[in-house]
Amino acid sequence: MSEFDNHLLTNCSRWILFISTVIVLPVLCLGLIRKTKARLQNRIGPPLYQPLFDVLKLLRKGETLSSTMSGVFRLSTVVVVTTTLILAWLTPWLSFKPWSPHADLFFIVYLFALSRVFSLLGSLDSGSAFGAFGASREVTLGLLVEPALMLGLVALGLYCGSSDLKVIFSYPHQLGSHSNELAFVAGTAGVWTLVGISIFLSSLIELSRMPVDDPTTHLELTMVHEAMILEASGRNLALIEFAHALRMSIYFGLAAQCFVHAAAAVWHISALSQAVLNVIGICAIAVFVGVLESLAVKLQWRKVPEFVAYVVSMSLLAAFLVAGSGAVKL
Amino acid sequence: MNCKAGLYGSLLMNTLVAFLGFPLLLVSAAISAFALGQKKSVSDKAMSVALCLLALLSAFAAFVKSDQVITFATSAPFLLGVFPLTFMLDGLSRLFLAILCLILLSIGFFSAGYLSHLKERISGGLYWISFFLFSLSMFGVVLSADAITFLVMWEIMSLSSAALVATDHTHHSVQKSALIYLGATRIASGLLCGGFLWMHSLCGSWSFSDWSFAQPQTVFPALLIFLGFCIKAGVWPFHIWLPYAHPAAPATVSAAMSGFMIKIPIYGLIRILIQGGLDSAALINLAFILGAISSFWGVLFALVQNDLKRLLAYSSIENVGLIFLSLAISLKARVANLPLVADMAMTAALFHCLNHGVIKSLLFLCVGSVDAQTHSRDLHKLGGLAKRMPWTMACFFIGSFSICSIPPLNGFASKWLIYESLFKGTLLLDAYLDRGLFLVAICLLSAVGALAIAVFVKAMGVGFLGMSRSRAAEHAQEASTAMRISQAFLAMLSVSLGVFAAIAMNQITKLVAVSNKPVILEAVNFPVPTSLLASMLVVLGLAVYLAVLQNSKVRTFKTWDCGFGPLSSKTQVSSDSFAQPLARIFRPFLRYETNSNISGSDKRHFPQEISVEVKIVSILESRVYLPSLAVISFLARGLAKLQAGSIHLYLLYVCSTLVFLLLIGAVL
Repeated sequence: MSEFDNHLLTNCSRWILFISTVIVLPVLCLGLIRKTKARLQNRIGPPLYQPLFDVLKLLRKGETLSSTMSGVFRLSTVVVVTTTLILAWLTPWLSFKPWSPHADLFFIVYLFALSRVFSLLGSLDSGSAFGAFGASREVTLGLLVEPALMLGLVALGLYCGSSDLKVIFSYPHQLGSHSNELAFVAGTAGVWTLVGISIFLSSLIELSRMPVDDPTTHLELTMVHEAMILEASGRNLALIEFAHALRMSIYFGLAAQCFVHAAAAVWHISALSQAVLNVIGICAIAVFVGVLESLAVKLQWRKVPEFVAYVVSMSLLAAFLVAGSGAVKL
Repeated sequence: MNCKAGLYGSLLMNTLVAFLGFPLLLVSAAISAFALGQKKSVSDKAMSVALCLLALLSAFAAFVKSDQVITFATSAPFLLGVFPLTFMLDGLSRLFLAILCLILLSIGFFSAGYLSHLKERISGGLYWISFFLFSLSMFGVVLSADAITFLVMWEIMSLSSAALVATDHTHHSVQKSALIYLGATRIASGLLCGGFLWMHSLCGSWSFSDWSFAQPQTVFPALLIFLGFCIKAGVWPFHIWLPYAHPAAPATVSAAMSGFMIKIPIYGLIRILIQGGLDSAALINLAFILGAISSFWGVLFALVQNDLKRLLAYSSIENVGLIFLSLAISLKARVANLPLVADMAMTAALFHCLNHGVIKSLLFLCVGSVDAQTHSRDLHKLGGLAKRMPWTMACFFIGSFSICSIPPLNGFASKWLIYESLFKGTLLLDAYLDRGLFLVAICLLSAVGALAIAVFVKAMGVGFLGMSRSRAAEHAQEASTAMRISQAFLAMLSVSLGVFAAIAMNQITKLVAVSNKPVILEAVNFPVPTSLLASMLVVLGLAVYLAVLQNSKVRTFKTWDCGFGPLSSKTQVSSDSFAQPLARIFRPFLRYETNSNISGSDKRHFPQEISVEVKIVSILESRVYLPSLAVISFLARGLAKLQAGSIHLYLLYVCSTLVFLLLIGAVL
């Protein structure tokens, strides 16, 4: 009985920790990016949790809908938020998470597609050309980035002999008989690093950040995500902004997990420090994105496929490395 | 006990013979009804009810004893020459019959309402007679147990469907489409005949169960049969008839053709080649590559279409490609002795046949509703239907999500199986080349998935959302109740097949196991929690809506117009401009060109006329088919010179032939 209580307690505390992370971390990521950019421009910048204040402010405001819109617009927001929450629960972007069911990698990739389809429909519902051109660019980016993400995850899946992301991201590879061979260590670290870089770069495209899209210009006509949500306002906008930030931290979390795994192949890392490293990794990636956005310039739209080609080739390299060397059957 | 089983068997046989005879009665009833000059709407309704009855009765007849393999042959008056027509009903044919019955049932519900909108374009008698012949022959093909019966039924199916494509034959484009389709079916039948004859000479039997493709000398007949099926299924590079036939045919015919008829070649492949133990690596690789190419080619060309039915036709090419691909994976795995992967890929193929049948007929019926209301399928003339046809829109959206394999719908379930079998294959196969091929296929499939999203977001967004682009779309009304019921039925089916995918897969495995040569050995594990996802989407979604959005103060205003004054429907994105960034990337395949023309005295600031033209040419059509057609017609013109109309010349021909034959006789 006491064991059961203990179990319940750990589970409850895990849920509480998880839910608070889901609320805090996305806001923190956005805040870190903005703060880094401000500091690099010699500004003090807004406080770290300004994005949270923004969302709270939007929640108090009224909502304006266009008379052209049908119910699809609001439905799309609801579905996008719900799907992103489910993704946060299913995807192993944090190493401390409450129980979740089978998280197949193909399932996860298509859940991302579900949220993308609904955000596209929402942007087309108002009949605004801004939203529609944003949507048109978003599907283009989606086409370019999806094979990269898929292949990256598949490479990891082949490496671990399972398509379940829970199994893939559960640190089994530091055990086993090979763990001391140099070639094995280098190979493991190499595959995880390659996939980590590929996921990080695809997240820049997927989340429409620099160098693919500049989220801070004043001209919506040139943008992707901001153009798509042009007609959203008030509570609707608050939900969309939150979902976008959460999606960003899921992506960054996946990339950070890959890098932590690469490190774990070389050094022994305890579970607690893995969890801490994971969160630190997400914040570090956010800061890095801030630096990147200060230094890089936005690519010309026609050059974007070239940039994506690097990402895809990164994933391809990892996948062929694994498929060629034969999977480690644990 | 034995006697009882025998009694059941004979009873069942009689039922089946009756069910084959029943539609013949219906056809004669149709003929008499139109001969008597009934009012058209009444006879349409009667025929629709008859179609529903046919579907229900035959489903009942097929499933009344679903744990037995039943074979039967026709008796005395219904012989083909001296041969009886032989039929076999086993798990595989039951599965395909079930798909056919589901589709025919919904088409039956849909027909009366749809045909009443197309009064002047369709002459009822010919349409209904061809349609019944078409449905019947599809039953026949799926049931036939020997090559002769198969070919007879196949021919009736091809010709009656060609007649259906030509329903609206007063238009020149429809005539051309019907001719192209007819040409494709002729070549397919020719190849099949060749393959069947060759196999007969090798095996000495017409019965499919006696044919074995395991010997090396059967590769060429197998290739002929395979190519014949490829043409009929619309696999790249033989797909060109599909995008012509579908826009020409009425929506009900397109639904039956795309939903079921193009699955018949797949049934034939499984029944003849795969159950015959095909193991030629070259042929399997060919199927793999053709499947992969047609899935990509189909979705790429769907992207740049503006006619909704053409778009759906190209998407059918994509999905048939996917099914071919999974059949090839299954065969490869079977040859490499990986039964788990083989079962998975075979389940994927069969389940995708069912899923695509449901989804594609749903989408074609929805487009039919739109066409009936707005008299247009051109995306440039649609839009703004969300408020006027909400039911049709909801059904079209569900179908679109499903065909983009969005979880938790059924399209996702079968796509997941394909992915998983590729993944497991990469993991377990020994040959490096195969592993690489499978990895590339995963990459390609994900690109195809993303392109499908682009295609159907365009269809949904431009077709249904935003402002209306034409007066007809502005005044559209919701489809009639029966039409809506038929669409909703298919949409519900699509949702429930996805949410309860694990159960559906088990049932399919169980059904198909009733066979002399089962194609699936063990049930496949489907671990993806689709039902959990569905319930979470509903519960969490409702929670988010009630907690946040329901209480917000809403003000309705216009779409932001930058202060330039009211927006018109022309300021929206068009179908062409939505697809432009993607089409630009694939320029070389599509031969995509845009020509824009801006004129006026001060054309930089105040242009008076702006026109943009998009041009797409299919490489295959312009570079391969048209030149070869030109060669054929050139040769034919040369041949026509022989027929000069002069009696003297003909006498000369007769004389020289006689001399020639005599000479040959003398030499031999």
